[in-house]
Amino acid sequence: MSLAEVDAPRSSERGLHSGFLRSADRFPERPALEVEGRAWSYAELRDRAAAIAATLQARTPEDGPPLTGVFAYRNATAFAGVLGTLMRGHGYVPLNRTFPIRRTQQMLESAGCRAIVADAESAGQLESILADRTDELLVLLPDEDDVTEIAARLPGHTVLGRRDLAPAGDWQPQPVDPAALAYVLFLSGRKGAPRGIMISHRSVEHYVTTLVARLGITEEDRFSQTSELTFDNSVFDMFVPWQQGACVCCPSAKTLIKPGRYISDSRLTVWFSVPSTAVFMQRFRMLKPGSYPTLRHSLFSCEALPVEVVEAWAAAAPNSTIDNFFGASEVTVDFVGYRWDPERSPRESEDAVLPVGFPLGELDVIVADEELREVAPGAEGEILVGGPQVSAGYLHDPEATAAAFAAPPGRSGRYYRTGFRARRPRSPAEPLVYLGPMRDQVQVLGEPVPLREVEAVLREESGTEAVAAVAWPVAATGAQGVVAFVGDEDADPDALRAALRERLHGQLVPRRVHALSELPVGEGGDFDRDALIRILEEPK
Amino acid sequence: MSQPTAQDVRAYVVTTLDEPLRAAGVDPAAIPDDFDLHKTGVIDSLGILELITGLEEQFGVEIDYEDLDPEELTIVGPFSRYVAERSRQAA
Repeated sequence: MSLAEVDAPRSSERGLHSGFLRSADRFPERPALEVEGRAWSYAELRDRAAAIAATLQARTPEDGPPLTGVFAYRNATAFAGVLGTLMRGHGYVPLNRTFPIRRTQQMLESAGCRAIVADAESAGQLESILADRTDELLVLLPDEDDVTEIAARLPGHTVLGRRDLAPAGDWQPQPVDPAALAYVLFLSGRKGAPRGIMISHRSVEHYVTTLVARLGITEEDRFSQTSELTFDNSVFDMFVPWQQGACVCCPSAKTLIKPGRYISDSRLTVWFSVPSTAVFMQRFRMLKPGSYPTLRHSLFSCEALPVEVVEAWAAAAPNSTIDNFFGASEVTVDFVGYRWDPERSPRESEDAVLPVGFPLGELDVIVADEELREVAPGAEGEILVGGPQVSAGYLHDPEATAAAFAAPPGRSGRYYRTGFRARRPRSPAEPLVYLGPMRDQVQVLGEPVPLREVEAVLREESGTEAVAAVAWPVAATGAQGVVAFVGDEDADPDALRAALRERLHGQLVPRRVHALSELPVGEGGDFDRDALIRILEEPK
Repeated sequence: MSQPTAQDVRAYVVTTLDEPLRAAGVDPAAIPDDFDLHKTGVIDSLGILELITGLEEQFGVEIDYEDLDPEELTIVGPFSRYVAERSRQAA
């Protein structure tokens, strides 16, 4: 494979799905996907996606909302739904049936989706999710032969099953505007409410083509699909392999907890996960030397990557390169990457954690002060990222967009203010070293958690102003959870936690709530998070 | 500490997870053998890590989980029996 193939000049004009379609033409019989114990060839998956796309073309108006929900979990419908939505010319909005109903409702409403592709099990939640909707939605259930029963429970909506889908041959390829949305992904914003991040075809194609070239992917490769579709590492898991005719191997959620045997049995060649998974495998003694000889590339992202974990992984996967990536959903998955070198890397690591490396592709990564001016070499500041991967902003939230995206003085274009601290490298040959989060934002198991927003909800639910949220415990890979405190001895921690679980999502939900008579106050007048962490660290 | 029986392991699991079990609307004293701690949302992967670390400290054994079927890892009965079996072999 040549680089010219990777960087086919027209690819950026044809959308995120164009790589898949090209692979389907080149390798119709090769496997595109393995899931639930079954392999799907490129031709099969394309046809399944084209039937969804053709149905959406026939049933959604050209001037309607350009986003369609994909409500499916680790099965063929999830992947065909993503591809079919893109082939319709819509961006996909990943939904997840393991999320609370209210969360899914808010995401659908915020995105303005008028169509949803759902699998059989997720469809069971639609009655509750759509209960209050007065507008008509189009619900595609490609797994269902008979939708009579479900349709009766969803009055006012159009429900179509497998037999109602248009034939795959009806799908008409349509031009894609590079600035159009490829997907919208939700993280937690104000008071924990879902906040959509808009990512265009242009942004994600820069990321995908950069990674394909970096790794030299071919049709022989077999990729792990570890990340949920609602987490943007999954963009790598799907579109990097599909670009080259490789296979996406999607284990069940259960298998993922302990994936060692799956790596061997599925003969994976590319592994991508959060570092916590590697720590977990090490703890389960699944990183014995020579365990995974089929792996060619191992990639980690979203958490600190400890040297010790890398060394164990390198021994377990002796034929594999190891890359540490770092990023933010606002700049399309990852913006810097670092290739492990057993000689050099331990020296370049700080506090036994790997550097995050060098900008991907054409991205401009700078370390800046509060006025967004680049700091002197060796000085500390906030990481700003500019270039093609920068998001168009937050959906329906111009205020938050204006606060997070700005043009630094003397530079053109919008840069994303990551809220991450780093030291500016002293020379271009020196890798970027991540120092930690700023502005009360922490990463918990890879998920950004705004502690202030957790506290805002805690204040409302507890009825007291004396509240604090801290990231704890903190392992070598980073924070493992959030713990909340209320300065009210009579508060009921269990009831408060239950109330928080209703309003917050994911890692924002505190793992524990402690009621104290009063909270320690620090020098600035704020509650002293460090003192609270010391309380947690005291032996019981 | 002597080698734990499957009953000991089960008792430890149920006691440790008392709060999340109750939060999930389950009576910790009456969970069936085939109860899946992961599927029911009682435990996530970090919780599993805490649980096995706690188990090893409690009973003073080191367990190799390589042969445990991932499907059974978070099912109370098979998990308890596996840990008991491995502790016996390790002793």
